[in-house]
Amino acid sequence: MTRGALLLAAVAALAALPWLASPFLLSLAMACLMYAGLAVSWSFFSGPSRYLSLGVSAFFGLGAYCSAWGLPALPWPAALLLGAAIAAAFATAVGLLTLRLSGAQFAVITFGLGELVKYAVTWVEKSLFGTVGRIVADPPQDRTVYLTLLVLAVSAALAYRAVARSRLGLALRGIGADELRAATLGVDARQARVMGFALSAAFAGAIGAAASVRWTYVDPRTAFDPFIVFQTVLIAMVGGPARLGGPVAAAVALTLLAELLRLRLPYLYMIVLGTLLVLSVLFLPDGLSGLWAARRGTPRLNEPAPEPGDPAPGRPVSMAPPAARGPDHA
Amino acid sequence: MSLPDPGLLLDLAATSVGVGGIYAVVAIGLNLQYGLMRIMNVAHGEFLMVGAYLAYALRTATGMGPLWALPLVAGALFLLGLALYALVFRRLVRTSPSQEALEGRSLIACFGLAFVIQNLVLLAFGADLRGYQYLARPLSLGAGVLITANRVVVFGVVALLTAGLVLILRATLVGKAIRAMLQAPLGALLVGIDTRRLHPLCFGVGLALSGMAGVLVSMVYQLSPAMGQPYTITALIVITLGGMGSMLGSLVGGVMLGFVETFGTQLTSPSTRMLFAYGTLVLVLLVRPRGVLAR
Repeated sequence: MTRGALLLAAVAALAALPWLASPFLLSLAMACLMYAGLAVSWSFFSGPSRYLSLGVSAFFGLGAYCSAWGLPALPWPAALLLGAAIAAAFATAVGLLTLRLSGAQFAVITFGLGELVKYAVTWVEKSLFGTVGRIVADPPQDRTVYLTLLVLAVSAALAYRAVARSRLGLALRGIGADELRAATLGVDARQARVMGFALSAAFAGAIGAAASVRWTYVDPRTAFDPFIVFQTVLIAMVGGPARLGGPVAAAVALTLLAELLRLRLPYLYMIVLGTLLVLSVLFLPDGLSGLWAARRGTPRLNEPAPEPGDPAPGRPVSMAPPAARGPDHA
Repeated sequence: MSLPDPGLLLDLAATSVGVGGIYAVVAIGLNLQYGLMRIMNVAHGEFLMVGAYLAYALRTATGMGPLWALPLVAGALFLLGLALYALVFRRLVRTSPSQEALEGRSLIACFGLAFVIQNLVLLAFGADLRGYQYLARPLSLGAGVLITANRVVVFGVVALLTAGLVLILRATLVGKAIRAMLQAPLGALLVGIDTRRLHPLCFGVGLALSGMAGVLVSMVYQLSPAMGQPYTITALIVITLGGMGSMLGSLVGGVMLGFVETFGTQLTSPSTRMLFAYGTLVLVLLVRPRGVLAR
């Protein structure tokens, strides 16, 4: 297994980074790891099942508040676990409540719930504690945070592979292709939807708990920032959620781009990102990794089976019924 | 709590109808896009923001009154809608294998578009609050109720706009075609309605409505580049309340939401306004995902 050995060596090298790199490089690497973990954990649910979750900001923010509220009292791993558990519990509740909803409604409600949680936390902080934000008391060292994020990103990647090869992954792919058909064939679609969503949320929650301590100050506006879900979805879509390498590579590339542009030209940076997202939806339905793999003929790991009406790769297909393609009726 | 006095109730009701009317116009615009074409335009509120800034720019640059700006803004956003449809959505519709896929993909594309538009406006105008004075003097409605004149203008324009829309939908051939597409997309195609011409048209009209609502908002409230997003959410709520594809439902739903929000914030505190809006959305989606008014 030369490939496995290579990956192991890469992880080992990354683990040694805190002792080698400058603080600036380290913080850059932390941003990369954070978004790699978020995008990979988004991909293993939303990629195969085609249920677009816009709840990443909510899970991240819940995790952030777990460490902001609990940290001085709780040990570091407990704060992370708490973040993961609360995010997963929230996702389970949302998943159970939204079982009847279609894909677009699911996306809208996950976004709406994120905002709802943000305003609820703001209200609780204001009326119960008389504060707008919190200072993270006694945050762990950068080295600890970095290694934690590395562990979380690697476990997200391992979870991605495990889900893709398990019955859960098969069920999610079946749901993505045709939920009704999958259910008819005996797939427990409800269970798969809720479990996949909760697992993906747990990672986002833990990453939120870990990454937010670097800010030293946490308030609802930054913890539940819609930009987090925007960047996560963008990375996953540009990279292509169907292969593990896609989100990881896109996370590194876009985070570096962010560091280059964001401080000097913040607005231009967001315009570039937004345009990139529109272009990738239009021209790269499988993401860059899909393009790469199509050239080399690598099989897809985690993607819904093609729908009956799906176009053959590379051949555009019109959605309009044949009548519309004939001569103009005007 | 003592019984609220009738003057306050009347005041709140007037505000509710005005706010609700703006919601209705925005929601009807989104309904033309989502109900008709399954384009989940989550950038809809951003076009309202663009309309508001255009009115502000016209006001400050030429001193033009917002009522004169109304048709100009509507025209500009209609053209923008046609251009966006040609550049983005035509291809999106053509390459999506199913309606579900189209909803998801258009949602993500519009999500990106929203960030582009917001930051373009930030680049042009900066993040500061902007605004201008327009007919801010109070009028008396009797019973001690005062209302600023600009709100009366807003209410009048909303009433004219919705009445005009209903008339177009009921009495003209284009309106009939649109209603047919709402009822049965495939059936409409089969009887020879040219969707390739009507879809861009409806998308443009949707944007124009959002832009006009923006002009109205700019008469009463201050502007910021982030003002659009709450209106997207409100429009989604109203569509869900009133039922997808139902224009009358959007009108009733918009006014309903105006009442819920105005009275809700009055009873609690202004900071809970968004809590009410998102709470209504989540509640409606959970309890009646097909719409409160749907049979």
